[in-house]
Amino acid sequence: MRRRLLAAGAVVLALGLAACSGGSSDETTSNGAAESGGTLTLAPIVVAQPWDLKDAGLGNNTIYYQPVYDQLFRLDPKAEVGPNLATEWTYDETLTKLTVTLRDDVTFTDGEAFNAEAVKANLMNTKSGTNEAANQLKSVDSVDVVDEFTATINLNAPDPSLVPNLGSTAGMMASPAAIGTPGLQTTPVGSGPYMMDEANTTIDAKYTFVRNPDYWNTEAFPFDTVVLTPLTDSNAVMNALQAGQVDGALVSDQKNIATLEGAGLNTVQYASGDVSGLYIWDRAGVMVPALGELKVRQAINLAFDRQTIIDTAFGGAGSLSTQLFNPDTAAYDAELNDTYPYDVDEAKKLLAEAGYPDGFELTMPDLSAFSAGAQAAVVEQLAAIGITVNLETVPLDTVINDLLAGKWAASFFQLASFRPWDTIQIQLTPDALWNPLKFEDPTLTDLINQSQLATGADQDALFKEINAYTVEQAWNAPWSAVQSTFAYSDNVQVTTQAFATSPGLYNFSPAS
Amino acid sequence: MLSFLLRRIGSGLALIVVIASLMFVLMNMTGQNVARNIAGQTASEEQVAAKSAELGLDQPVVTRYLDWIGSAIQGDLGSSWFTGQPVTDTIGAKLPVTLSILLVGLLVGTIFSVIIGVAAAVKGGWVDRAVQLLAIIGFALPSFLIALVLAAIFAVKLQIFPAVGYVELAESFSGWAKSITLPAIALAIGAIAATAQQVRGSMIDVLKMDYVRTLRSRGLSARSLLFRHALRNAAPPALTVLSLQFIGLVGGAVVVEKVFGLYGIGTLVFSSSSSGDQPLVLGVVVVMVLIIVLVNLLMDVAYGWLNPKVRV
Repeated sequence: MRRRLLAAGAVVLALGLAACSGGSSDETTSNGAAESGGTLTLAPIVVAQPWDLKDAGLGNNTIYYQPVYDQLFRLDPKAEVGPNLATEWTYDETLTKLTVTLRDDVTFTDGEAFNAEAVKANLMNTKSGTNEAANQLKSVDSVDVVDEFTATINLNAPDPSLVPNLGSTAGMMASPAAIGTPGLQTTPVGSGPYMMDEANTTIDAKYTFVRNPDYWNTEAFPFDTVVLTPLTDSNAVMNALQAGQVDGALVSDQKNIATLEGAGLNTVQYASGDVSGLYIWDRAGVMVPALGELKVRQAINLAFDRQTIIDTAFGGAGSLSTQLFNPDTAAYDAELNDTYPYDVDEAKKLLAEAGYPDGFELTMPDLSAFSAGAQAAVVEQLAAIGITVNLETVPLDTVINDLLAGKWAASFFQLASFRPWDTIQIQLTPDALWNPLKFEDPTLTDLINQSQLATGADQDALFKEINAYTVEQAWNAPWSAVQSTFAYSDNVQVTTQAFATSPGLYNFSPAS
Repeated sequence: MLSFLLRRIGSGLALIVVIASLMFVLMNMTGQNVARNIAGQTASEEQVAAKSAELGLDQPVVTRYLDWIGSAIQGDLGSSWFTGQPVTDTIGAKLPVTLSILLVGLLVGTIFSVIIGVAAAVKGGWVDRAVQLLAIIGFALPSFLIALVLAAIFAVKLQIFPAVGYVELAESFSGWAKSITLPAIALAIGAIAATAQQVRGSMIDVLKMDYVRTLRSRGLSARSLLFRHALRNAAPPALTVLSLQFIGLVGGAVVVEKVFGLYGIGTLVFSSSSSGDQPLVLGVVVVMVLIIVLVNLLMDVAYGWLNPKVRV
C-alpha cells in the first residue's frame, strides 16, 4: 500500500505503512575478505519511480538509481563526503559558488562524454522536477561551465546540505543525450557501475543490472549482477527472505525479527532517522488557543511515558528522545532528553498555571491504522492530565494532504530527520513543508539564519542551540528516535549507511 | 444458437460501456487532487495548475468523458498520468500474470470441484460428510489466509515452489508452472468449495431420477452413466456457480498477487486507484469486465451445449 501521497516532498514518512527508515551506525556485520562475482538480489519495499532523475525520489527509491547512475560525490558509511565523479570541490567565501573539478575519463553507456556540460544539463533537469531529488536542489540557481571539466554551481543562498546531497540521487548523472527524451522515463542511460539488462527486466516486478564494462571504479562493486525485486507486502518480504529468494530486505514489522533470525537470517539494527511522537502543528494557538501557551505544550511533553510507548507501541525499536534532530548529528544533545521526564502531577500543575486547570479538548485525526498502540497512548496519556482527545476518522489517502494543509492542530506522527540543515528546512523554517501553519518565532529564525552562514564547529554549535531552543519551547512532543532493521542472508555482508533509509548498493559485498 | 450468442455478446458490450461510464463518474467524485499528487507536495500552485492543464483536468467532466470513451472505442485507452506509458502497454505487460493464475485457478477449480462433488454424491457416508465439512471450511477461509499458509508450507518450509515472483511462460514452462501453482491454488480453493457443494447437490438430485434407474437397468457401465449422462444434467447449476465464483477470483487476485509478490492486474488496480491514476484504473476496469464477460460467454456456450433448452 505504497501510495504516492505518502511520498510527501523531501520528507520520508515512516508511519508504519511507509516503513521507511534510515541508517546511522557504521558497523560491519560480518568479517572476511570480500570476493568478486555472483549476484546480489535485494527486495526494495517500494516500486521503482521513473528513471528520469527529475522524477526521482529518495529514501527507499535510491537503490534503483544507484546501479545505473553515478553521482558527483561518494558518501562513506558515516555519510562523510568523498570524491567520485567530482575529484575536488571548493566554495567561495560567500558560500554561494561551489566549484567542482570533474573526472576526465568517464563516458555514458550511449557514448556521450561526461563533462561540465553534462553536469549542467543534469542539475538543471533534476531541479526542474517536483520530487524529492528536485527538492534538494532548490538552492541551485544556475551552473556555469568554466572549462571542459570544471563547473561552478551558483546558489541563491548558502546550503549546508548541498554537497552531501550531491552524493545521492540529486547529484546523479544521466546521459545528456537522453535527458528530455521520453525514453528516459522507462530506460535509464547513465555512466554507473551497471547497466539495465532489459531482456531480464519486467517493469515493476524485476530489474536486472549487469556490469558496465567501461566503468572507472569496478573494484568498488563486487557483484557481477544486481537484481532488484520490489516487494511491497511485508508477508511477501518475510517469505522471500526465508525461502532464500532475496539476499536482503528492510523488515518493516519489528515483530518479525525473531522469526527471521530463527530461520537463519542475519539482522542489523540502526537509527532509522525517523522521530515519532506527538507533533504540535498549531503551536501558535490559531485553532486551539491552549496550544499557543508554552506551559501547555510543556505539560503535554511531561504527560508521555516515552519508554513505555516505545516498548509497547513500537516493540522496543527506538531510543527515548525529546528532540527533533537525528541522534547521529552534531545537533543532538543527549542531556536534552532529561528535559521532560514522565510527570503527571507537574503536567497538571503547568496546565493550571496556563489557565487550563480542567484541561481542554483537542481534536486529532485517528491514525490508528499507522500505529494503534501509539494512537491509544496519545489518548490515554493526555486524558491523564485532563486533555480530552477527540479522534476523528479520516480517509488515509488524504490525511497527509490534510495535515500539510494545516487542517489539524496536533497529531501522532513520524517525520524523517537526517542532516540538521535538512531537518531545519523541512520542519522549522516559516515556509517549511512540515510547518503547516507557517509558525514563525523570531528568535529561532535568527538562529537559523546564523547557522546557514556558518561552517564547521560554529555551525554545529548553532545547530545544537536551535535544537535546544525547540525542545525548551516544546515545539512538539517527540518520543523516540525510531530504529530500523535490515535482514540479510549468509551470502552477503552489509554495512549500514548513515542518513539513509536502508543500506545502499556499495554497502553490500559477498560473504567470504 | 447464433442469435443466442449474438444477444450475449451484445449485452456483454453494453455491460462494459455501463461499468466504464460508472467508473468514470465515481473516479471524478472522489475529490482526490490528482494533479497535486503527481506534482508532489513541494510543487507550487502554478506547477499544480500546469499539471492539471496538461492532464486536461481543467476541462469539464462531460468533455473528458466523451474524449475518453471516443478513443477507448478505437482501442486507445490513453496514457498513465503518473508514468506516461500507454495504458494498453502497461496492461499488456501485466495481463499474462493475472490471466495465468486466474485461468489455471479456474481450471483447477473446475476439475477438483467435479471430482470432489461427484465423489461426495456417489460415495455418500463419511466421504460426503468430510467433503461437506471441508467445503464449509474452504469457503469460509479468505484467499489471503490460504495464500499465507500455502507460502509458509510449500515455499518457506519445503521450498518446492518459489515464495515470490513470476516466471514468464516463454522463459521456462516449468518455471512458469511453479511460479503460479501456489497463487492459483490459493485463488481456487474458495471456488472449489462452493462449486463442489453445488455439483454434489445436483448429482444427488439427478441420480435419483427415473432415467438414471432406467439406464442402469439397461446395463450401462457405472462410469458412462455417471460422466456421460448424470453429470451432463447435473452440470448446468454448477456452471452458474462457477461463473459467479470467477468474478470472486478476480477480486481475490488483488490480495493473492500481493502475498506472492506478483505484479499483475490485481496489484495494478490497487496501486492505480489509490494514486488516482484515472486512465489506468479505467483501462483495467474495461479489460477486467471484458474478461469476465468472455468467461461468462464461454460458460453460456457450455451451458447451451449441455442443455438445448437455453439455446432458444
